[in-house]
Amino acid sequence: MKRLSFLLQGWMVWGLALVAAWLLPGLPRGAAQPPEFPWNVLPATVALLMGLVLAALVAAWLLGPRAARARSLALWEAPPDLLWGGLTLALWPAAWGPPGKAAWALAFLASALPSEIRWLCQALPGEYPFPALWGERAQRRMRNLALRTLAPRWIAVRLPLWLTATLVLERILAVRGLGSDWMTRVAVQDRVGLALWILTFGLLWTLAQRRQP
Amino acid sequence: MKWRLMFLLGFLWPELSMDPFQGDLGMAWRHPLGTDALGRDALLRLLHAGIRSFGFATAVAILALALALLVSLGRARGPGVRSALRAVPPLLFLLPLAAVLGGLGWLSLGVLLAVLLALQLEPPLRAKLEPFTQGPAWAMNRILGGSRLHQIRVWAPWGMAHAEALLPSAWLGALWGEVTLRLLGLGPGPQHDSLGLLLNQELPRLSTDSTPLGWASLLLVLALAMISASKAQEAP
Repeated sequence: MKRLSFLLQGWMVWGLALVAAWLLPGLPRGAAQPPEFPWNVLPATVALLMGLVLAALVAAWLLGPRAARARSLALWEAPPDLLWGGLTLALWPAAWGPPGKAAWALAFLASALPSEIRWLCQALPGEYPFPALWGERAQRRMRNLALRTLAPRWIAVRLPLWLTATLVLERILAVRGLGSDWMTRVAVQDRVGLALWILTFGLLWTLAQRRQP
Repeated sequence: MKWRLMFLLGFLWPELSMDPFQGDLGMAWRHPLGTDALGRDALLRLLHAGIRSFGFATAVAILALALALLVSLGRARGPGVRSALRAVPPLLFLLPLAAVLGGLGWLSLGVLLAVLLALQLEPPLRAKLEPFTQGPAWAMNRILGGSRLHQIRVWAPWGMAHAEALLPSAWLGALWGEVTLRLLGLGPGPQHDSLGLLLNQELPRLSTDSTPLGWASLLLVLALAMISASKAQEAP
């Protein structure tokens, strides 16, 4: 009952956001039709996100909960997304033309991977004294189980943050992707597209909630 | 906290004078980082822009913490509502909004950033305060018939002391928010300098002109991030 009331409260917010999107004055003058969804970048984005998920899970599995306090990881995590975009732009040889999707993907991985590894390592249960004393095999098995349980909620919680990172990098590196699509739909006041985005955020929020809050 | 407060004085620093005929000079003793396109000393401009941005971040962080403190001291009403409002990261909300409005002014950007940051700061602050606000000492004021104002006067320093621990993260959130928005050309207009505006002007030139000012501003961002991460690691 408590969970249901919690979810209903949240969906009230998403409902209000949907109403607000629907009450927008509509497409501004000059925009004949809403922009097309960037289907062409979807496979690359999905592959990139899957790569990030896999890399973070493997790293967290190998490093364990102690890595959450690792100084090197904290230092790698610290720079904001804009710095990775700026560095890519600065180091990209002008003769090669504008940096494309590969540079954007690399900048995104450099910016998002350390935070995700740390998030997962922080969420892993402590291993001392048990299962550490039972041996490495038991420790790995425990991490395996914990990561499997954590993964769906982790992805749902972190997807909006990944979208923010990719939006900033897309704008700096002039690449069109999912982040730009969300921004463009707000900017051109595309009611249907915006409603779909809000529903996606609402669904992600619902998936991110624990079963027993 | 005090060194961050000092940056508020940065707003009193007037804009640097321009001299377009001295624009884009190389590095020299007189101008260690050269000059920018409008003839301003690049090192001075970096300092000016940095101090302005730090001052703005301080003001926003204090406002955000005050808002978060007010909400955290009250009863936790509508946890689902607050959780849903927190689900969208501040920049993911601010960037499209700024695009719709054709850019945000300093005041609107500051207030919006503070409100969005306060939403994110409220859960950790509430977790710090709740063990006490649920206890008998907190209820004593009500039992003795004291007013709400009296309660705020008595407990405000204690609340602020707890909120102060969150100031570095609020400050960084506000700083990166301003820098990102202005870098992407969606922040306040070009009248007042800041780190975001500096990056907005110098970053596109980095791969072609390789300006020392562009590199220096990127290094400043990197140094700030590294220092803050080191401090956070040292914190208990």
